[in-house]
Amino acid sequence: MIITQKRNLDDLMENIKRYKSFFLVGCSECASLCGTGGTPELAAMKEKLEGDGKKVTGTFLAKTGCQVLGTKVELKPYKDALAETECILVMSCGAGTQTAVDLFKDKPVYATNDSLFLGNMTRMQIFDERCSLCGECILDKTGGVCPVTACPKGIMNGPCGGTNNGKCEVSSDIDCAWVKIYTRMKDTDQLEDMKKINKPKNWAAHKKPMTLNVREKKEEGTK
Amino acid sequence: MSLKEALKSGKFTVTAEVGPPKGTDIKKILHESIELKGKIDALNVTDNQSAVMRINSMSFCRLLLDMGIDPILQMTCRDRNRIGLQSDLLGASILGIKNVLCMTGDHPNAGDHKEAKPVYDIESVQLLGVVDGLNNGKDMMGNELQGATDFYQGAVVTPESNPIEPQLMKFGKKVDAGAKFFQTQAIYDIDNFKTFMGTAREYPVKVLAGLVLLKSAGMANFMNKFVPGINVPQNLIDELKEAGKEKAMDAGIDIMARHIRRLKDENICDGVHIMAIGAEDKIPEIMERAGLL
Repeated sequence: MIITQKRNLDDLMENIKRYKSFFLVGCSECASLCGTGGTPELAAMKEKLEGDGKKVTGTFLAKTGCQVLGTKVELKPYKDALAETECILVMSCGAGTQTAVDLFKDKPVYATNDSLFLGNMTRMQIFDERCSLCGECILDKTGGVCPVTACPKGIMNGPCGGTNNGKCEVSSDIDCAWVKIYTRMKDTDQLEDMKKINKPKNWAAHKKPMTLNVREKKEEGTK
Repeated sequence: MSLKEALKSGKFTVTAEVGPPKGTDIKKILHESIELKGKIDALNVTDNQSAVMRINSMSFCRLLLDMGIDPILQMTCRDRNRIGLQSDLLGASILGIKNVLCMTGDHPNAGDHKEAKPVYDIESVQLLGVVDGLNNGKDMMGNELQGATDFYQGAVVTPESNPIEPQLMKFGKKVDAGAKFFQTQAIYDIDNFKTFMGTAREYPVKVLAGLVLLKSAGMANFMNKFVPGINVPQNLIDELKEAGKEKAMDAGIDIMARHIRRLKDENICDGVHIMAIGAEDKIPEIMERAGLL
């Protein structure tokens, strides 16, 4: 899921100070689990804005805020509230915010959160970055642990000199990715594979901005 | 004699290193370097060491060549992508630089520009492969070069790394990728180092033992605590302590000279790489006490 964090509230209030009425958009997926854009956060933001003398015309929890068409359909009942809204506040990720930018052609849209990473939730509201979406997966060569993500230097061929009793020199809070890879490959009897040199990555496999049309591909496949 | 010739001749080879300053005043580093001329076989020039922005390695390497000192160009992957690295390697080649030490490089987090975007397009093992390719007239994409390079490429290894197994595996990969010589992270326990050399001797590469000058017991304790892959045994720390504050540096010089003698006399490795870290003026004295001058 996309891990988000609330932006500094004072900065946000400064950015939106010229608007008087707001419509709040949350998301029932990632942002809810991160505690940045679920039902309680929508209510808290409404209270904060009203406390500051602003008007909140409505609050809305998108089912999946990054799904543009679905969100458009879900927003239909809010037509009247939106008509009297000056500004949209999106309380999900950068993708959700840009869904709103697509859907509200004539209204300014502001993001209340910073989008941090693609994460795994390891325990309730505790998230780890495991995948960098690099476009060319190497997990099959590294025992299923991603060095592109787990190593701050993204080293592809073993630990650097900064590996320190299983920890990383960048921070003792970080486990050394290559000690994890070594341990995992040893436990799964794959150490011989670890001796093979991993070639330089093809970073062009993730060339921004990425697009993908699976529908076209499917149609081609059926021809 | 170049570094390559020195190592090939079987001579006990000595390298040292200097770090260019932040700023254009190079009087000190020029003086330190001149003092080493004719004594050491080659001199490393660090590449923005500890991720602190300084004069680049290549420029000072060229000045060393002009002075008649064989430079070792340290090259990290932190600040340049593969286009920049290859371009700089070609540039170094036309300046007459022969030795290149391939490293991944300290993370910007360690340095004075923490907000910098770390590059790491490739890393040490892959950079060694790139140098090998350029030596064979091809760039990374297999394109023909108009004139190949002729580098003598080396790498680093941490013999006291814990755990050691993945470090040794990476050492093997570096050899496979084309490393001809290694300079190690600082070692202080010669018996441990002999064990490491038992493995290293299975490969057709030259190994220079890395030695960092101990200036005080405090410095030794600090390195044990904060520098990964460094292990200063307690008896050496005691020796520095007993020497007292005024004579600690002198004791450190004695320790290094003693280690060099043993490494040479027992033919443990092919030479030493002396890192004096700010006390480069002491290197001739270290070498004298070690019987190398």
